Amino acid sequence: MTRTLVVVGHGMVGHRLVDRLRSLDTSGDWRFVVLAEEAHPAYNRMALSSYLTGRTRNDLALADRAFLDDPRVDLRLACPAVSADRGARTVLTAHGEHVPYDALVLATGSRPFVPPVPGRDAGHCFVYRTFDDLDGIRRAARRGLPAVVVGGGLLGLEAAHGLSRLGMRPHVVESAPHPMPTQLDAGAARVLHRGATELGLDLRCRTAVASIEAHPEGTVGAVRLTDGTVLDCALLVFAAGVRPRDELAAALGLERGDRGGIVVDEYCRTTDERIWAVGECAAVQGRCHGLVAPGYRMADTVARRLAGHPVEAVGVPDTSTELKLLGVHVATFGTTDPAAGRAVEIVFAEDTTRYAKVFLQHDTGSLLGGVLAGDTGSRAELGPLVGRRPPAHFERLLLP
Amino acid sequence: MSGILVVGDGPAAHRLAERLRGHGHTGPLTVLGAEPAHHRPLLTDVVAGRLPAEAVRLPPLPDTRVSTGTVVTGIDRARHEVRARQGGTETVHSYDTLVLATGARPVVPDIVGATGGDGHLAAGVTTLRTASDCARITGETVVVLGGGPLGVETASALAARGTDTTLICAHPHPLHERLGETCAALLTETLEQAGVTMLGGRTVVRRTPDRVLLDDGTNLRADTLVLCTGAAPDVRLARAAGLRVRTGIVVDDRLRTSDPHIHALGDCAELNGRAPGGVDTAWAQADALAAILTGHATVHRPTPTVFRLRTRFADVSCVGDPADFDRPGARTVTLTDQANRRHARLALRDEHLVAAVLFGVPEAIAALGIAHRYGRPVPSDLLGLLLGPPARPAPVGSETDEDALVCLCNNVRRPALVKAWQSGARTVTALAGATRATTGCGGCGPLVARLCDDWEHEARPAPERAR
Repeated sequence: MTRTLVVVGHGMVGHRLVDRLRSLDTSGDWRFVVLAEEAHPAYNRMALSSYLTGRTRNDLALADRAFLDDPRVDLRLACPAVSADRGARTVLTAHGEHVPYDALVLATGSRPFVPPVPGRDAGHCFVYRTFDDLDGIRRAARRGLPAVVVGGGLLGLEAAHGLSRLGMRPHVVESAPHPMPTQLDAGAARVLHRGATELGLDLRCRTAVASIEAHPEGTVGAVRLTDGTVLDCALLVFAAGVRPRDELAAALGLERGDRGGIVVDEYCRTTDERIWAVGECAAVQGRCHGLVAPGYRMADTVARRLAGHPVEAVGVPDTSTELKLLGVHVATFGTTDPAAGRAVEIVFAEDTTRYAKVFLQHDTGSLLGGVLAGDTGSRAELGPLVGRRPPAHFERLLLP
Repeated sequence: MSGILVVGDGPAAHRLAERLRGHGHTGPLTVLGAEPAHHRPLLTDVVAGRLPAEAVRLPPLPDTRVSTGTVVTGIDRARHEVRARQGGTETVHSYDTLVLATGARPVVPDIVGATGGDGHLAAGVTTLRTASDCARITGETVVVLGGGPLGVETASALAARGTDTTLICAHPHPLHERLGETCAALLTETLEQAGVTMLGGRTVVRRTPDRVLLDDGTNLRADTLVLCTGAAPDVRLARAAGLRVRTGIVVDDRLRTSDPHIHALGDCAELNGRAPGGVDTAWAQADALAAILTGHATVHRPTPTVFRLRTRFADVSCVGDPADFDRPGARTVTLTDQANRRHARLALRDEHLVAAVLFGVPEAIAALGIAHRYGRPVPSDLLGLLLGPPARPAPVGSETDEDALVCLCNNVRRPALVKAWQSGARTVTALAGATRATTGCGGCGPLVARLCDDWEHEARPAPERAR
């Protein structure tokens, strides 16, 4: 007898889960109903910026022909879920249809956080998450005119880089003392800041947007910062973080985390044994994760579980990152926030061109992790040294 | 042979006189000073009660006329004469070459009640510059004012002898500018653990009998208030004699003042626009001037000195200038180990050390101090050097070679120690007596102790690999 899995959301993680279970489910026990909010099948959101510089929707698509043609998969585009009924075991779509489920996976992702500043509804103010957002940005972009990006995190810097490639002159406004405050420390951020400046980006830290002023025709014209500066601005992008999309938790009577998200256990199951949550909307043991790697791990765990395979707990995800941003290599590996006072912290730096910070266990001297920026050794070379004492030529590995 | 007259009673004057004879000066040699010369860096050991005041007196100078209790009152440059007062008697001393080693005078801040009407320090208030100052620190409760090395060393010494001690400094932490925020904060923690009450960001505004009032209104008991608020070159004689004076007595690279017959050195002298003070500088200048005056050298090229804090509670050392950390093109290495209370900050250019701040890493202090002083490349495994043996096996550097310089201050190499050992000096004290090693900044003390132990354990009678 076939069972129905309803997946709410067709983002990267929701897609991964369905794709996984399709291949694990060799006896054809499952059929899938995927409720997608967007009008496009899942795409690689990590590479979204490349869509501004010439890559197409097809280039970034994740669902291949076999997936789209699979008769077991009922992919409903532009058909978001609006409510659900645990007793009846149905999900209500925006089109008014009640879709029954045997198992329900919530993969609703996040929504961009738009800070409550006056004037935020002006025209040419965007968020940066979907193909549609980027289509809007591309249409509104004007060569040579100033733009403002609210938020100096990874997404904000990518957006600013994208805008500069469209010929605009971006300012980036970040309230923290340095860019990418979540991943980088001040030293690594200085290297990144230099890269940003060389690309012509104007990075302003320790300040925030106080208000947005619109032209008479309704589009954004200027931005006033809390430090009193007024920036001319023809286009604005909010990249001030995301919030988990956990609205269905209320309808389903499921617990939400202190900082949002649908609370699940270490196997991504909610308190209802038929309901699971994966990706950015899931608060695994109370904590949400914004990277795709832990999201994929969650998807794999749930897919294996539904297929009747043994599973391991999701555990604490490896938050290592390595990316090239604004022409600058930045990476983290292992632990980058060891308990205060329990680790030896060592920084190797060369002006603002390269920077490597590593943590060693204070008693054994073994490597815990580190932060790299600029022309340093790579995560691939250094990651494997975690858990061991660094070798004598460690400094040369860090700053080759 | 021409006569040399030295004015001063500090280590600079003493070292110069000693080296002049060592370099073969056979003419008359006279030293005029108020007090018998003593080894100023050891004053805090007297304060701590580890040494009696007489023990820090420098050894008598051979073939030298030393006139103590003598206050020089003037220089007659035209007649090549110095006038002085000894007891109630006026004396006149002629010279062919005059050397001013008048040192520095403590700076006394403007504190109501700290000075009497005559300008002298009130009872229960003292500076710390001479052996007799040590005896002025009395009572159960002492407040030390000043965030420089002397303030820290004095407060440490008082805490070590069990005195209830408070250290007050203007910055949040002592030695703030020299050490930087992280390291200075570690120093505060360490001193607190040693029993010193630390009050940063404060100053003393008023002295009343047995108490001090701080700028924030705090009123503290203080049987003695010790002012460690810096020292300024004593240029009075030079200025009265019409010599060129800026911060200190201006000298050229031959340590000559604007009068070619008069030289100056040590804390009173200003060379290349700087009057850094300190015993290391004074000794280096004394060595150089002795060589210049005896024709063995023509100029003095200052070598970088190592700053080392003299407190038994922490190993703190600096080389170079704090500004060197911010110069473009420098590579920096910073290590912070809160759990083991260690910190190191290095600025390097290629393989050479430009500046360093080191806390709690004694092995690294020795190796890096030598590398810096002699412009040698630093070991390639810096991390191994900084972390030392507990965390990683220490690399065997070239510093441990047979001819290694052990005592930077007194220029004592390992062979000299070996020779002394072979001649029967079998303890650190005996080696110090025979070679003077460890009697400068004291930084090589642990190394000498270790050598002593090693030799003790090796086959007797003596280490044979030394020649």
